[in-house]
Amino acid sequence: MGGGLIITLMVIHLLASMLIAEMRNLRAAVWTLIVQSFTLSLIILAFGWGQVWMFIWFLWAVFTKVFFLPWLFFRYMRMFPGREEEPVVGTWLSLALVVVFVLIIYQLLHTYISMMVPTISAATEPTKSSLSMAFTVFLLGAYVCIVRRDLVKVIIGVLLLENGAHLALISLVPGRWETACMGIVTNVVISAWLLLYFGEVIFRVLGTTDTLKLSELRR
Amino acid sequence: MGEIIVKVSFLPFLVFITPTVFGTITLLLWRLYPGFHGWWALAGLVITGTISLQIFHEVITGNILTLWNNNLYVDGLSALMLLLGSLLGLVIVAYSFPFIPSRLPEEVDARRKLSLYYGQLLIFLGMMNWTCSTNNIVMLYLSLELTTLATAFLVIFYWNRAAIEAGYKYLMLVTVGILCALMGIGLIYAAAAGLPKAETEGLRLLLISDLSKVSTKMAPSLVLLANAFLIAGFGTKAGLVPFHAWLPDAHAEAPEPISALLSGIVIKVGAYALARTITIFSPHYSAIVVFVAIIASASMVFGILMALVQDDLKRMLAYSSVSQIGYVVEGLGLGTYLGIYGSLFHLLNHTLVKALLFLAVGAIVYMTGTRKLSELGGLGRKAPITAFCFFVGALAIGGLPPFSVFMSKFTLFLAAAERGLMWAAVIAVFTGLLTVACFVRAAYKVFWGQPATNPGIRMEEVKEVPSSMWGGMLVIALVVLAFGLYPKILYPILDKATVCILEILGGVMH
Repeated sequence: MGGGLIITLMVIHLLASMLIAEMRNLRAAVWTLIVQSFTLSLIILAFGWGQVWMFIWFLWAVFTKVFFLPWLFFRYMRMFPGREEEPVVGTWLSLALVVVFVLIIYQLLHTYISMMVPTISAATEPTKSSLSMAFTVFLLGAYVCIVRRDLVKVIIGVLLLENGAHLALISLVPGRWETACMGIVTNVVISAWLLLYFGEVIFRVLGTTDTLKLSELRR
Repeated sequence: MGEIIVKVSFLPFLVFITPTVFGTITLLLWRLYPGFHGWWALAGLVITGTISLQIFHEVITGNILTLWNNNLYVDGLSALMLLLGSLLGLVIVAYSFPFIPSRLPEEVDARRKLSLYYGQLLIFLGMMNWTCSTNNIVMLYLSLELTTLATAFLVIFYWNRAAIEAGYKYLMLVTVGILCALMGIGLIYAAAAGLPKAETEGLRLLLISDLSKVSTKMAPSLVLLANAFLIAGFGTKAGLVPFHAWLPDAHAEAPEPISALLSGIVIKVGAYALARTITIFSPHYSAIVVFVAIIASASMVFGILMALVQDDLKRMLAYSSVSQIGYVVEGLGLGTYLGIYGSLFHLLNHTLVKALLFLAVGAIVYMTGTRKLSELGGLGRKAPITAFCFFVGALAIGGLPPFSVFMSKFTLFLAAAERGLMWAAVIAVFTGLLTVACFVRAAYKVFWGQPATNPGIRMEEVKEVPSSMWGGMLVIALVVLAFGLYPKILYPILDKATVCILEILGGVMH
């Protein structure tokens, strides 16, 4: 499928990832996660158009990332507060930080992409842009896991990490059945489920989803 | 070295499916009387142990076992890990017989808790055996992830506030780590897939042994990036600094037999994954050797300094594990025969010694109800067997002769110096001295120091733990002593395991 379509989907994917990181309303963040995951599924389909294994990965990604995980989030979030714990640096500064973070990372990766591709010939479009965006999404996930206080948001950060890794995989090696196989079996759906379950237990015991207060459990 | 014969065998499959099936049945039959689960687990582990012994015998006599087009591949290193896991599993299950029921609150349904405990323990061992017998890099990732899932509920077993925090932290941090490893695996696979078709003709690019054949041809920048992700990912599981944050809490809050399992086996699975992946590249990239040496040295020093200031015995042991895993990883990163040999020797020693120490601390908790150094003292006469076992463990982990840890550490010092990393050798020696100070102080305080000041401990009622608890500890203590006095017993298997890594590293696949 055309490189233009892939890059368009990638841009939507990256913007959705940024929105997920910054939305304070957790339900809205999960709805955006659905959009982000669906664009990832479409990117898988676009890269592997006409290949059976890729189509299976696409279907699996739609089932797990677009339906099952969001359903789990909505189910557990009924018990949690609807709004994320305020970031330590405040909403607007946090938003500005994310935008600057993404712009710098993307620009750096796009410039030095030749260090991240197996051959120089692979550093062409759409691989060049899609790979830069994949790494940006991955690092954005790491950023969310490190700086966000809310337990639900941190779990969403884990999913951003996973989606970034899958995006890098499909961008680098789009045409092989092993890629699809790797993508299908490396889903962290059970880990995310368990984390949500542990999150619910923590909320019941501690009365908050603020990870900065987790150490109170030791007292 | 004799001729190596490659045999197609179902043993590598049986060794991981047996405990998994036994564990699943334990979970399904939770309604049966509480005693059933322990005996059933013991039966499953006896069978698994027998299979591991058979595999060990096959490997030691010069065979390599494979199945499913080399997707399962058991060589010397795998056989060593399988045997260690199975034997330690047996000791832990026997130890748990009196220990776990004694720690359960009365209002809890013992059948359900015991079935969960033994079921997950067996499933973990099954997944660990899968990790150690797979040659497929994606299966390595998957089985490693499953070991985390299987142990998460074991960490949180007591369901108290501290255990809940420890369990969440463990699952969260190791999941983030494993996703870094996924990125690393994806990059290595991409680096191999990007090579010209003629270079990868006939290779299956998900097999570690096939990837190693083209490791020198991959784009260097991509290889370095992938290795950084792999070290972060598998290093998190191994508990290396700075990815170790989960380890002290998880080790401290899990039931004592599970702490022994976590320190003895779980973190070694991370080291095993590093052994299978980064050693493919480290001999060809000096940057990887230096990077690994820096991280390993930081782990050694940070771990032992933190251990020195702990009042909680389990946290002290946990931080010491962070320190000791540094030795293991440093040796692996060196990529030389001496380095890998020393690393595997230390891995084996640490598995036994740290399991022994955790089980001894479990015995102390069983007798006194506390694990705080400041509240303990004068237990030597009341519990001579536990005291003996703890002292053996303490002196061994300190690296004093004639214990085998002395030899494994000395091998690693030599290996680092041989590679030109004198600074790493000096840090390792310095850490060894601090380890002696830390453990001898703790052992002296608990067994010979002033009797306990905690009013909750009635010294006159303190007595030695039941035989099923001290039996396992004594066996490990005697094995540790035997390995120290006759280190040559271990040479054949350690040599085979080292040669297997070096052969895969050289791209020589049988």
